[in-house]
Amino acid sequence: MIRQWIEIFSVIDAISIGMLLTTLAMNSVRRIETCLKAYTMNSLLLALLMGVCAIYMGIAHLYIAAAVTLISKGIVIPYLLRRVVRSLRLTRDAEPYIGTTMSLVISAVLVVIVYSSLSKGIVVEGVIENTLKISISIILIGLFIMITRKKAVTQVIGLLFMENGLFLAGFSLTYGMPTLIELGVLFDLLMGVIILGVFLSQIKKAFVSVDLDRLTTLKG
Amino acid sequence: MTEMLLIPAIPLVAALLCLAVKNSRVREYVTLVGAAMLLSATLNAAAGALDGMTLTAFGGLLYMDALSAYMLSVIAALTLVTVIYSIEYMRHELDTSVINDGAHRHYYVLFNVFVFTMTIVPLSNNLAMMWISIEATTLVSALLVGFYRKKESIEAAWKYIMLCTVGITFALLGTFIMYYASATLSGEGAGVLEWTSLKAAAHGLNPATVRLSFILIMVGYGTKAGLAPVHNWLPDAHSEAPTPISALLSGILLNCAFYGIMRFAVITDIACGHAFVQDIMTVFGLGSVVIASVFILMQTNSKRLLAYSSIEHMGIISLSFGVGGPFGIYASLLHILNHAMGKPLMFFVTGRIRALHGTVETTEVRGLLKSAPLVGALGFVGLMALTGMPPFGMFISEFLMFRGLADAGRWGVIAVFLAASVLVFYGFIRRFGGMFLGAPPKGSGHGHGTYWPASAVLVALGGGLLLLGLYIPGTLDRLITMSVAVTGGGQ
Repeated sequence: MIRQWIEIFSVIDAISIGMLLTTLAMNSVRRIETCLKAYTMNSLLLALLMGVCAIYMGIAHLYIAAAVTLISKGIVIPYLLRRVVRSLRLTRDAEPYIGTTMSLVISAVLVVIVYSSLSKGIVVEGVIENTLKISISIILIGLFIMITRKKAVTQVIGLLFMENGLFLAGFSLTYGMPTLIELGVLFDLLMGVIILGVFLSQIKKAFVSVDLDRLTTLKG
Repeated sequence: MTEMLLIPAIPLVAALLCLAVKNSRVREYVTLVGAAMLLSATLNAAAGALDGMTLTAFGGLLYMDALSAYMLSVIAALTLVTVIYSIEYMRHELDTSVINDGAHRHYYVLFNVFVFTMTIVPLSNNLAMMWISIEATTLVSALLVGFYRKKESIEAAWKYIMLCTVGITFALLGTFIMYYASATLSGEGAGVLEWTSLKAAAHGLNPATVRLSFILIMVGYGTKAGLAPVHNWLPDAHSEAPTPISALLSGILLNCAFYGIMRFAVITDIACGHAFVQDIMTVFGLGSVVIASVFILMQTNSKRLLAYSSIEHMGIISLSFGVGGPFGIYASLLHILNHAMGKPLMFFVTGRIRALHGTVETTEVRGLLKSAPLVGALGFVGLMALTGMPPFGMFISEFLMFRGLADAGRWGVIAVFLAASVLVFYGFIRRFGGMFLGAPPKGSGHGHGTYWPASAVLVALGGGLLLLGLYIPGTLDRLITMSVAVTGGGQ
């Protein structure tokens, strides 16, 4: 019954597209806390997707993966980042190197490139056919956000979007990694966010700002 | 199994002890004893591997063959060497009040955790676990790169952690795709990502999928291994880290990442044929050598110069591994050992120069052979060794690489490589030559307390480079030959 519903309403496609949209939204958002909300939304959708697939496929370890993703990416990481952002009193991102319209266009072009080129070597069929393409698009858009933003904290958020895309990719290729591996990767990610938070406050202290244009002492 | 589990356990216990101990001297000795135990445990396990044994633990999650044993031996030996030098370096920092006792403790705890993460890399059989441990090395070492909390070091650490994490994200994607390739063959489960089972099943893997995976791995782990064009973090991180950490980063961490590439290259080699692996690794390797040779000419800071030289040597390692065959892989592994001795030697020399003169700028130091004979002489040895001059070890490994390239008929590669080598040699002599030769300016240099075991280490590294240039000990030769057999080369 539930399986049919999932198929009829293309629930899995709908959730993946939601993830793509929250990633695209990063292109036009300037307030840092809104960026964080977009990321939280993205992670929650990822966890939801895993949960829906767990019901659809009836794979036990997917339930665990969904729960762990929900806790780490949906709750803990956004909480940690919000704390850092508030304690450093960061409000708005500086104007990026590329304007909103242009970056939306570039993101769209990235999606088109992924859709047109990803056909060799990897053939994923069935309900998650679109998910892989969307996941690669999210990775590339995340990378694009990282490159064009000036604030260190937005770079971190871009990196986190990349990681979400990566998890989605791993998920759509093979329905996730074995649980132990998934936990290890998430542990690394969590540690990474904590260490980046430490560096953020150190950058703020040493440079009196978290604008990355000031990080230009080292050259050549 | 226990002998294998001891290897990562020792540095982990040492880290916990360092965290608990209040006295700075005790911390030093804990780390020193830990490193000595690590070396003996590793050599013990390596002796087993020499008898053709392969060890496994945790249901195949951890695994050790000749290649892992070889890499671990290099890691353990260099750890011991670096600990001894660290004692001198950190005492000097404490005495001159550059750091306080808290930072001293911080250093030794992170040092041991860093060694712990590096020992896991060669022991992982599961390729995703290897990824987890390589990412963990980045996270821990980033804290060590930013150790001084100055503007430059924070910037370097930030750049390091961001670029390497992005790079390694692609490596994880490559690992996922490899998992996909094997899962379509034999169903899902933890065993599917194990290197041993992947190697056994490699003939049946879809070549197009494996190719895509290997390209992502090469870009991802290549970032971490310092291969051009994704090397930009490396000169900053190596020049801003405390000198003993620069030695660890350059001497063994780069090789840990390269080890990841090696394991994937073996599978790709079987699945897609040798030409594909050879082409990709040659492009990355030769590109690194050429780019490094150009940048070496522009440096005046000796630590940055050495960092670019690391890019060059990782290029050589990649190039000779890509050539394959009986000579190529042997040359690559031998070069890893040579580089793991030569580069730390030079970093330690620059550390002593910094303690003597308060600077590592090549333009401000003159006549070291006269003012500090030991440092000057060993620096000169390191200089000759790193530029591949006989009678030092790198001459042998580069010569073997030429044999491999000539057998493969790649004369164009040899020509480009030789041209780049000339540039590197010129750059090194121009910058470092003046530091060692010439007359010291009057009244320069204030003495500093040297720690005699550290001097012994410098002499031992120089002696090792000379020894490997004259002859290769039988045990080492057997271990490398067996490692070559693990990679499937040399038939």
